[in-house]
Amino acid sequence: MKGDRTMKRICAYISVVVAVAISLSACQSQQQNVVRIGAAGPMTGDQSKMGIDLRNSVELAVAEWNQRGGVLGKKIEVLAGDDQADPKQAVSVANKFINQKAVAVVGHWNSSCSIPTAKYYSDANMVMISPATTNPQFTLQGFKKVFRVCGTDDQQGRIAASFALTSLRPKKVAIIHDKTAYGQGLADFFQKALGNGAEIVYYGGIVQRDPDYKAVLTAIKEKKPDVYFFGGIYPEAGRLVRQAKEVGLTIPMITGDGVYDPTFVNISGKAADGTYVTFGKDPAGLTTARSFNEKYKKIYGEPGPYSIYAYDAANIILTAIKETGSTDGARVAEYIAKNTFQGAFGDISFDTNGDVAKAPYVVWQVRDGKFIEVK
Amino acid sequence: MFVQQLINGLALGAVYALIALGYTMVYGILHLINFAHGEVYMLGAYLGIIVMGVFTLAGLPAYSLPLTIVLTILISMAFCALYGAAIERFAYRPLRGASKLAPLISAVGVSIILQNVVMLTQGTEYKNLPPLLPSEGFDLFGANVSPVQAFILGSSIALMVILHVFVTRTRLGKAMRATSQDRIMAGLLGININQVISITFMIGSSLAAAAGVMVTLYYGVVHFFMGYLAGIKAFTAAVLGGIGSIPGAMLGGFMLGLIENFGASYISSVYKDAFAFLVLIITLILRPSGLLGQKALDKV
Repeated sequence: MKGDRTMKRICAYISVVVAVAISLSACQSQQQNVVRIGAAGPMTGDQSKMGIDLRNSVELAVAEWNQRGGVLGKKIEVLAGDDQADPKQAVSVANKFINQKAVAVVGHWNSSCSIPTAKYYSDANMVMISPATTNPQFTLQGFKKVFRVCGTDDQQGRIAASFALTSLRPKKVAIIHDKTAYGQGLADFFQKALGNGAEIVYYGGIVQRDPDYKAVLTAIKEKKPDVYFFGGIYPEAGRLVRQAKEVGLTIPMITGDGVYDPTFVNISGKAADGTYVTFGKDPAGLTTARSFNEKYKKIYGEPGPYSIYAYDAANIILTAIKETGSTDGARVAEYIAKNTFQGAFGDISFDTNGDVAKAPYVVWQVRDGKFIEVK
Repeated sequence: MFVQQLINGLALGAVYALIALGYTMVYGILHLINFAHGEVYMLGAYLGIIVMGVFTLAGLPAYSLPLTIVLTILISMAFCALYGAAIERFAYRPLRGASKLAPLISAVGVSIILQNVVMLTQGTEYKNLPPLLPSEGFDLFGANVSPVQAFILGSSIALMVILHVFVTRTRLGKAMRATSQDRIMAGLLGININQVISITFMIGSSLAAAAGVMVTLYYGVVHFFMGYLAGIKAFTAAVLGGIGSIPGAMLGGFMLGLIENFGASYISSVYKDAFAFLVLIITLILRPSGLLGQKALDKV
């Protein structure tokens, strides 16, 4: 009797295992009927808006392709990966995408996340296009499958420095940065481009996420510079300009694309006015961007500063997959490197490093809480 | 620059001192390091933003800005007093007879729970409060004292004076001191120990809430993780001044604020947080009982 019951139980276990195995293999075969694209950026934490903007844009582009019947006769699926703006998390996101057999990735957002992950994607034969990574190092690592659709920090630093020297004519300049690959890199390029044009009276780092920057701002005030440059992102920039006014530092801040976001003004209120920011041209004025802007607004609300770049990056990848008839990373990358793409942001082509052929930076200024292009 | 850094440091130190008082009072009575205290400060800051938002919708700031700020602080303090009492009642009181480690672990647990509750209900991004008070204040020896700084210094010193009078001059204050000296003996003499402990938690938590609202006004940003570092810094301040000593916590808070500011401006802004902990280590080596702390006597 007892042996009989044990036998029955074993049979039941085996049948469950077999059933699970069959259903798993069914999943496996289904997996090959979709093309997966990763969207990676900070989706939680204080830079979460940037990662969510990025994911929204990729989803919008993919939804349009799926409406037209997908690519290579398959549906396209977006995998979202939250790197929390943390290089360690970014690597685990990369491994997750690789395990899920994604064919390409749009991301990451932060330079400190894109630079280390590029190797992982390249080794897994995936194409990587970052919509926002501006540190030059990103494309100089020798990987053939790595591209970016935005400008670089050396271009940005040059434009910021030449604007400062020709329009603001400062005698003394202070430079601070947030110690990240992006922030410190940008600050250094600005310093290099400034050359002997102005005396640098202060150079130093600040701690990201620290609520209080009054000590460093007071030290800067003491040196009496005419303008100060900040390499970093909007949460810190917002607190800096707000506290600068409180310690009586009234000179304007010059900063980079990481600060171009309405949240900067929300944090700092009136103190934001007068800040100079280097960023791409306004997509609202471009005829090619009109349809993107309308669709994005309808589904997700106002596009973020990098939404359009992420949308173009996703479209470039899908176009290349369609044209080459393959999801093989090397072939797709070769196609991307050799062709010009009509993006929402205009025509995009790449140089031998994988950077965009022409740098799109102009100088903006915050006036009455709005970013206005300085003509 | 020296005067400006002095003022910056004092304003920051006032905030540390207010939080440190909660640590030191609880430690004085229970010999427990209440690691959930930083989270109560964070709750106070969030309540400040929420209450301020409700008042703004009601149009109160347009009527009287000082009244709005004072009311916001009082409401946030009242709520956090209840939080403090509830934390003590549910997380520490059941463990009062247990080994010293048990309530400590319970405190860490409460801290994690509160952080995650706020993260799930309020989101992970920074919440902003636009600047309400003007940034240009009055001039003091070439330094700009902003209205917020003046307000933080004034109100936190007022709160500390009230606390001092309460502890030294009232019956309840006397009961508190008696409980901290010898809990069992105080109980035998007819002091309601549980009530005294509850009230201690309520006072400490409401001071942390006041600090939370002040910081929100000062920096304009709150975040669910903000209690962690502030809590550790305030704990450092309490140890620096001598944990268990109320004047010690005040002194320690102000000293820590000044050390951080002068360190960041004269040595290096990159290592700002490191100065606080360097001070903690040096204090523990040279004077383990803190600046104003009494040498712990072995109870026979």
